[in-house]
Amino acid sequence: MKRMIFSVLVHNLRCSLLRIENRLLQITGLDAQLAPSLAVNGPSLLPRIDQDSQHDEEQTTSLLDSILWMAAPKKRRTIEVNRTRRRDERKFEKVKYNIEPCPECGHLKQNYILCGFCYAKVCRETALIRQQIKEMEGGPLRAPTMETVVLYEGETPSEQDREKRIVERPRKRPAWFSH
Amino acid sequence: MAAAMRGVAFIRNIVGSLHLRLQILGGASQQLSCLHTSISLDSKHWEKNNLKVYPPQLLDEPRRPAEVYHSRRQIKYSKDKMWYLAKMIRGMSIDEAIAQLEFNDKKGAKIMKEVLLEAQEMAVKNHNVEYKSNLYVAESFSGKGKYLKRIRYHGRGMFGIMDKVYCHYFVKLVEGLPPKPEQMTSFDQAKDYVQSLKNRTIIHSL
Repeated sequence: MKRMIFSVLVHNLRCSLLRIENRLLQITGLDAQLAPSLAVNGPSLLPRIDQDSQHDEEQTTSLLDSILWMAAPKKRRTIEVNRTRRRDERKFEKVKYNIEPCPECGHLKQNYILCGFCYAKVCRETALIRQQIKEMEGGPLRAPTMETVVLYEGETPSEQDREKRIVERPRKRPAWFSH
Repeated sequence: MAAAMRGVAFIRNIVGSLHLRLQILGGASQQLSCLHTSISLDSKHWEKNNLKVYPPQLLDEPRRPAEVYHSRRQIKYSKDKMWYLAKMIRGMSIDEAIAQLEFNDKKGAKIMKEVLLEAQEMAVKNHNVEYKSNLYVAESFSGKGKYLKRIRYHGRGMFGIMDKVYCHYFVKLVEGLPPKPEQMTSFDQAKDYVQSLKNRTIIHSL
């Protein structure tokens, strides 16, 4: 694809160079292509009334001036050069030394980061609690202006829970959810 | 004509597989290993290594460690990107490798972890490996799969051909502890350098 655009630009360059060449030949008077012409003393610039070429030349010259010619690779990068760049040590995957087993579930976890398995376990229970709350509220924007407390089987609300909304879950309290 | 060609290819396949089996049973004679038997595009050579059967070992021979070859084909990932992960786990014990891949964020890491777990299971079930942790990654590399080609449209009516890349991943697990890479001390390096200087000789001299 790049080769196609490159060929178009090369073609433009070639056209512009040819036109410059013709102009130079006219100036010096070395081209003998014009047969019927006025006999003028000395070399003279024959102003061409060809508007198309002027227009094109302006375009091409402005293109050349503005972009200051496109950056392009001079030579093909050899496979040795490519390999040394791709297999450089800083491009390798770094080995992590901060992996340890989670004391709760025994799965692996990173230091100072939550264990993925324990987090998923908590997420699941939270989703069920949220479902319960959704059923209790029955619609959007109906949350009561009081705190919520989650109670499991065989638990009674304590004195602190007097003014709180109670969400009941019909299962045993999980070990990680302290009262 | 076509049927004859197919028949010839079929016979060649059978001959090739028989050849391989005879080689294995004959105790792997070294002379035939240099012969390049034809490999078609669909041949799964890596998996066939699992079928290799050695003759029973003698009492005084050291115990040959178990080897498991496993691969996954046509993974929708780049072979160059996969290579970095494969390079990372080369020479690690299997537990270490699985831990590293679990906490790596790349797409290929998840696939590679699945392949390693499958290979571990295969080793324990079919290849007489006693402890599933007693394995290490001997070889691990990626290869190019079959690409799909699509058209990518550019400006000015130009187009390019886009490759939808696929890769294969190959792994070989060997029983035992991973071999420790030899650490060269600075003194040894200096000694080697001096030795290389001493080995210099003038060619075509008396």
